[in-house]
Amino acid sequence: MKKTTLLLPLLTLLAACNSGDQAKSPDQTLAQSWPQIEAAGKGQPVSMLMWMGDPLINKYMSAYVKPEVQRRYGIDLQIAAGQGSQIVQTLAAELQAGQPSEADLVWINGETFYQLRQVDALLGPFVKKLPNAALLDLDNPFISTDFQQPIAGMEAPWGNVQLNFIYDSARVANPPNSFAELPAFVRAHPGQFTIPNEFTGMTLLKSWMIALSGQPKLFQGKFDEAVYDQWSGELWQVINQNRRYFWKEGRTFPEQLAPLHQLFANGEVAFTFSNNDAEVDNKVNQKVFPATARAYVPAPGTIRNSHYLGIVRGARHPEAAMLVINFLLSPEAQLKKMDPNVWGDHTVLDLAALTPAQRRQFRQLPSRRYAPRRENLTGLALQEPDPEYMTRLFKDFRTYVIEGQAIGK
Amino acid sequence: MRSKLLTAFLILLFALPFALLGLLAVGEGWRFPAALPPAYSLEPLRGLVAGGNGLLAGLGKSLLLASAVAVLATVGGFVVARAVVGARRPGRWTALSYLPYALPPVLLAVLIQPFIIRMHLSGSVGGVLLGLLLLALPFATLLLGSFWSQQATEYEQLARTLGCTPGQALRRVLLPLAAPLLRTTLVQTFLLAWFDFGLTNVLSVGKVRTLTVQVFTYVGEANAPLAAVASLLLVLPPLLLLLANKSALLRKP
Amino acid sequence: MKPLKPILPLYALLVLGLPLAGLGYALLGSVVVVGPLAEGFTGRYWRALGHEPGLGYAALYSLWIAVASVGLSVVLALGLVLRAQPTLRRAPLPGLLYVPLVLPALVVAFYLFQLLSRTGWLSRISFQLGLTSSLEAFPELVQDGAGLGIILAHVLLIFPFLTLLFQAIYQESRLAELDQLTSTLGASAGQFRRRVAAPLLLRRAAPTVLLSFIATLGAYDIPLLLGRPYPQMLSVFIATKLQRFDLRELPAAYLAGFLVASGLLVLILVLLRLVNRSRVETG
Repeated sequence: MKKTTLLLPLLTLLAACNSGDQAKSPDQTLAQSWPQIEAAGKGQPVSMLMWMGDPLINKYMSAYVKPEVQRRYGIDLQIAAGQGSQIVQTLAAELQAGQPSEADLVWINGETFYQLRQVDALLGPFVKKLPNAALLDLDNPFISTDFQQPIAGMEAPWGNVQLNFIYDSARVANPPNSFAELPAFVRAHPGQFTIPNEFTGMTLLKSWMIALSGQPKLFQGKFDEAVYDQWSGELWQVINQNRRYFWKEGRTFPEQLAPLHQLFANGEVAFTFSNNDAEVDNKVNQKVFPATARAYVPAPGTIRNSHYLGIVRGARHPEAAMLVINFLLSPEAQLKKMDPNVWGDHTVLDLAALTPAQRRQFRQLPSRRYAPRRENLTGLALQEPDPEYMTRLFKDFRTYVIEGQAIGK
Repeated sequence: MRSKLLTAFLILLFALPFALLGLLAVGEGWRFPAALPPAYSLEPLRGLVAGGNGLLAGLGKSLLLASAVAVLATVGGFVVARAVVGARRPGRWTALSYLPYALPPVLLAVLIQPFIIRMHLSGSVGGVLLGLLLLALPFATLLLGSFWSQQATEYEQLARTLGCTPGQALRRVLLPLAAPLLRTTLVQTFLLAWFDFGLTNVLSVGKVRTLTVQVFTYVGEANAPLAAVASLLLVLPPLLLLLANKSALLRKP
Repeated sequence: MKPLKPILPLYALLVLGLPLAGLGYALLGSVVVVGPLAEGFTGRYWRALGHEPGLGYAALYSLWIAVASVGLSVVLALGLVLRAQPTLRRAPLPGLLYVPLVLPALVVAFYLFQLLSRTGWLSRISFQLGLTSSLEAFPELVQDGAGLGIILAHVLLIFPFLTLLFQAIYQESRLAELDQLTSTLGASAGQFRRRVAAPLLLRRAAPTVLLSFIATLGAYDIPLLLGRPYPQMLSVFIATKLQRFDLRELPAAYLAGFLVASGLLVLILVLLRLVNRSRVETG
């Protein structure tokens, strides 16, 4: 008799997590009109999975977006950490088990988008349903194409960024102007360069590989094994030839970006990288980087891409997720996000579609002081190649560089 | 002399973590090569009270989870241990209780995750609780096994022959006898859950943000002050337990 | 209290059933029968095992870390208990040794990183004192090839615990009195320590020492923060493999998880045999 009373709290705990709402089918959800969606979404919780590796981004979400959607729609936005394959595995396991998802909204791009579509875990097309979708700059290929895949309404663009190099102008007077000059620079300044073994580092490797080939066109369209083998081979050769001049003699590489930022801030390395061209501004403003930190894009350019918001097919609150996305695409939320003091993420809106007053606000944003201006980067932006290039680089960087195995098949 | 040196060295060794974590928590813009922070700020601590960064919520979640694990595991362990003694081959059951020691918590979590998802417990406090019980219950069973295998069973029978009801025998004879061991088990299983990062991190899918998970997030953000504050919060309750009941901290399975 | 019939089967279902089911799932995952990209049985990943040195290397590295950490801790704890008895009994010490027991592994790892990295506190102090002229001059103590930082963190956590354990056994077995007895019989202090005390302490503490060894073998938190991307310890190796971008690597990760879990289970069974045998022997 004692046992039942003791089991009760456990059972209630278990049951509390089980209260699944009776959901509509995906088609029924998408067939609704916007007012219907608004009515259904109000007052619901939304569970969002996102990369949480940047304090400013986390703050934008928790201190601005969360209270705003609460105020406007009574939506309780719950943010949880999750990215890439972790999201795919969780959603795929839920699909296999045939049950509603723990997540409603996911922050994704590239290979995650590709894999989620492969396992049919995304709801859509939904983008056209959003009133604010009319403001999106969908004519821009850097926005409407995600790693060579048309977004096809299955994910909504949220922000647009470009990889850049960050260096300390007080310590490095003449940073290498191009990828071609990089090896000589590294040899002349031993111990000052490294490649983070994560997303940003892989974007760096992709840009470097495209630079080595001299023909960005080669990397457009579907994955090409021959192209990859040839140019990744060149890339590993250049890196391995020079790795003893890398940080810690190239015997190890940082596993995350933040520790590399930390190494840079402490003066242990001369370069760090960011997938967000305005990050140098917000890090200097936060006093994380020295005030002499500057960002630039080496020739012949680096990868520019967008990141997106998707709705989970098995979401319990898809309508509420749409309301949140619509808010995130609003000129107000996009403007706030683009402020280098807040996040510095470039907008995906077409400024021409906005009212003159809104346009003025975007133009009057505190300018990027230390990052290159977007206007000056027009010729220096490369398109994202097929996600398979990234996947393969990730694997081979580990095998041929970190583990140092001999190249050969 | 040698003895004093040794004592001084150990004091230094064990006090240093608290000193350095404390400095990190209040230091601002502290970079190489400064040996001491150039400025001090209570910002991270203030954030704790304001609750903007979820540290306080994490503290609450960790406390709740660890307490629930401790109570459930101790009570469960008491009952299971008694059943093990009465079983036909108690050695087998004791061996079974050692199994969770073989698997690192993070590996255990990875293995059971598909089933946690099927039980609709993924990313919930319930799922993490179940995972932690998987570790804590056998642990408690082993700890409490020594109580039942001693004279306790005889005492219980004696009490029964003297006319006690089973309830009375439990309340008046067994529980007082077992009290010190039960206390140790409570403390030990609490700490087991309180210290866990690997299992919680996998089973919570980033949603159950206990203090250890937050320490890891802040370390990942290279946010040393907040990581230090969260670390100090993690160390505080066990330290209080230590002051209150030193002997309960030493685990001898 | 009446023995409750369903208690033990329920217990077995939880403690044995769930992990074994997980093990079975991992096995099926390794032959791609289950998982996000399930395609039907293939032995491809098992066959590829021979060409992938990663898992074996991770196992060897974990073994090295566990042997070094536990070995060092045992030596330190034995040294303290056998050679510093008066100090151990005096005021601050017994309490002091409990302090590391309140430190979570993750916190110890974070602390040691802040203390020992090239931009850490010690490096800063040595720079200020003029002992090192630059960051690079400071030795690499964390995220180093040999795993010094990982070993140090484990020693910091294990040796005080073992010292307390040895001390408890020392007092329980009345080794102090035995010491006097052997010295009246003409044995030197060194002989007593080597021939009598150390073997007795080690034998009685063996199960706990072996459990610490297995726990170190599977350590996760500490190598996650203080280790390198290569070589990795087993738990980190499997966890990162599971979180790779490429879903096609998942079966290999399941395979690694299955093999490591099976290996550790066999190890603990062997350990239990040993413990039982020594119990029978000592009576």
